[in-house]
Amino acid sequence: MNSQGSDRKAVTLLLLVMSNLLFCQNAHPLPICPGGNCQMPLQELFDRVIMLSHYIYMLSADMFIELDKQYAQDHEFIAKAISDCPTSSLATPEGKEEAQQVPPEVLLNLILSLVHSWNDPLFQLVTEVDGIHEASDAIISRAKEIGEQNKRLLEGIEKILGQAYPEAKGNEIYSVWSQFPSLQGVDEESRDLAIYNKVRCLRRDSHKVDNYLKLLRCRVVHNNNC
Amino acid sequence: MKENMPSALAFIFLFLNISLLNGQSPPGKPEIHKCRSPDKETFTCWWNPGTDGGLPTNYSLTYSKEGEKTTHECPDYKTSGPNSCFFSKQYTSIWKIYVITVNATNQMGSSASDPLYVDVTYIVEPEPPRNLTLEVKQLKDKKTYLWIKWSPPTITDVKTGWFTMEYEIRLKSEEADEWETHFTGQQTHFKVFDLYPGQKYFVQTRCKPDHGYWSRWGQENSIEIPNDFTLKNTTVWIIVAVLSAVICLIMVWAVVLKGYSMMTCIFPPVPGPKIKGFDTHLLEKGKSEELLTALGCQDFPPTSDSEDLLVEFLEVDDNEDVQLMPSHSKEYPGQGVKPTHLDPDNDSGHGSYDSHSLLSEKCEEPQVYPPAFHIPEIIEKPENPEENIPPTQDAQSSIPYFHADVSKSSTWPLLPGQHMTRSPYHSIADVCKLAGGPVDTLASFLNKTGRNVLKCSKTLETEEEKIAGQEKKKSFHSETKQNTSWPLLQENLPVVYAKPPDYVEIHKVNKDGILSLFPKQKENDQAEKPGVPETSKEYAKVSGVMDDNILVLVPDSRAQNTALFGESAKKAPPSLEQNQSEKDLASFAATSSNCRLQLGRLDYLDPTCFTHSFH
Repeated sequence: MNSQGSDRKAVTLLLLVMSNLLFCQNAHPLPICPGGNCQMPLQELFDRVIMLSHYIYMLSADMFIELDKQYAQDHEFIAKAISDCPTSSLATPEGKEEAQQVPPEVLLNLILSLVHSWNDPLFQLVTEVDGIHEASDAIISRAKEIGEQNKRLLEGIEKILGQAYPEAKGNEIYSVWSQFPSLQGVDEESRDLAIYNKVRCLRRDSHKVDNYLKLLRCRVVHNNNC
Repeated sequence: MKENMPSALAFIFLFLNISLLNGQSPPGKPEIHKCRSPDKETFTCWWNPGTDGGLPTNYSLTYSKEGEKTTHECPDYKTSGPNSCFFSKQYTSIWKIYVITVNATNQMGSSASDPLYVDVTYIVEPEPPRNLTLEVKQLKDKKTYLWIKWSPPTITDVKTGWFTMEYEIRLKSEEADEWETHFTGQQTHFKVFDLYPGQKYFVQTRCKPDHGYWSRWGQENSIEIPNDFTLKNTTVWIIVAVLSAVICLIMVWAVVLKGYSMMTCIFPPVPGPKIKGFDTHLLEKGKSEELLTALGCQDFPPTSDSEDLLVEFLEVDDNEDVQLMPSHSKEYPGQGVKPTHLDPDNDSGHGSYDSHSLLSEKCEEPQVYPPAFHIPEIIEKPENPEENIPPTQDAQSSIPYFHADVSKSSTWPLLPGQHMTRSPYHSIADVCKLAGGPVDTLASFLNKTGRNVLKCSKTLETEEEKIAGQEKKKSFHSETKQNTSWPLLQENLPVVYAKPPDYVEIHKVNKDGILSLFPKQKENDQAEKPGVPETSKEYAKVSGVMDDNILVLVPDSRAQNTALFGESAKKAPPSLEQNQSEKDLASFAATSSNCRLQLGRLDYLDPTCFTHSFH
């Protein structure tokens, strides 16, 4: 009698497990897309990404203008402040012709690297500026916003890569963040110089990203006929 | 040596002084005031030279790039004009800071400007757009709009997306003071709706890179919006014209009407004298029989005894303000007496009386009412049937008339004082008057004093008893009819006040020469109506009573009427059993023309004539 009961239990258990497995497999149902192609049009993706990059540039430009007000006529300060940007090691095209010669997927990966490389410095900037400058509040709020938007920008670019150039996905070049030295224990002037330089570089890199994406849109979506 | 030092210094000072006296000095500090890139691929810097120190000065621009140590000189001083440096494509790097300095050098020395840190990325200022075209187009529903189109500036590379351009247009009409600006984004065309037709519009465009400066406004273009008179517009105008014409016509019509009513107020129409039941049209036709039947005569000339009576209709007219005058007074009613004011619109037979006085006095003041005046005269003849006949209207009464103490009261004419007691008439009338009180118009009198009328009638009836005992009764009628005539007559008397003249019918003339009268039966029913029907156009007045038993009747209106009366008078006499009355009537007829006085539109017969004739 016992064996019959245990057999029955085993069978029901097995059945339960089987059914669970089956159900679990179907936990993520396939999206219903016409022709099995669930994709947003490329133009739409580019438009959304470019909107983000444009917005990020505006934020960084405002940030720089706020900071520059203090040092507008101080040529010496500016002379001292200008130094290499940390991202200068990235081989980004330096002109229109250069940029057009770079393949789109390579350029997209470059853009990804560029945006990635700013995550930590932005975070640093928030802590460094806090309470020091007159315009610190404006700088901090914008820095935070740029950080948020950068994440969305990255998602968008990765989507474009995944859709248009899936084979190039994952070829991102990681580097850079180690170039920014820590500003702790540094005198005031050096700190200010470093902050000025950082903001200047952020503005430039935002502009680069924006410009590259706009180039790519006209090239990929409109076939150089914007 | 020491001796040479002061001389050396002196020479130096001298040299400096000489140079100062000459106005020469090292150049002033130049200043780089602007650097601009039109396409993100080239750029130009301009500087302002400082003072040249009076000597020819050379300017040079030197620059160094970010990350490079070396200094370079401006590759092109010419392209962009004087005091400029043009960096062509090969010398332009984006996303790099340029450190630019301008040096001014002359014989005396040199001076350098402050360095300028320039990043080409952020100094982009394009040229204005070109090929601006304007065109007026129409949508399917006939809406017109202005279609504006342009092209980006030549050198900017928008196609590859290197340069992203945004545009702006502005327009204004010729008369407007301010421009109307519209941002168009990245599109190079624009539609403008709701522009005023027939006006000239000016349009300009400018552009801006996604991150950079606005260009200056491009060349101005103008266009005139054509007037479009579509069929719809003309239809609207036609409707407007028709409506305005209709409105004008209505206004003219209203003015005409009003004008007419105003004219009627100023010059009220004078109604002709009327006798109820008398149709002048019948008279014109010459059908006297019809006319007489209309009047109520039957089988005229009367063929039977009962028909021997002369049937006449007398208009008893009641005036609003009857002035009492002595019977012997021969004053002309219209003269020297203020006319009583009567309602000019009351165009009754009664109104006929009034109108004459109205004509003379323009309906302002109370008028002496001529007609009833006959009564006093009648009454004066002591015994007699003054009461028999309601006073005939006589414009020129030698009959005294009654004067109502209140104007506009249409009371039965009264003899004041002594006269009042003389006859039941007067007493009755007096009673009636007292009962009725003054009234403004006949109509109102009628309406208001209906009761009074009844009272009067009652009093009359009571009076009748008195009268019955008197000679008058017998003078009136021996028959019941005649008997009833008095009360009827009396009944009518008050009624007469209230409405246009009442008519009494001469029932017959008996052998004594007495006219028996009874009111026309219609009148009773028409007691409430103030207006005399227009058909009644003839009046007969009692001009006097002769010999206690002769009633002198006087037609008072037009020649036709008089003629008729004359005719009837002629006819009547045979029926009359009185010789005198016959004569009288004849004479009456004869003298009617003589004695007829014409006052305005009314003809009145002067009873004095008749009295003479009768006597």
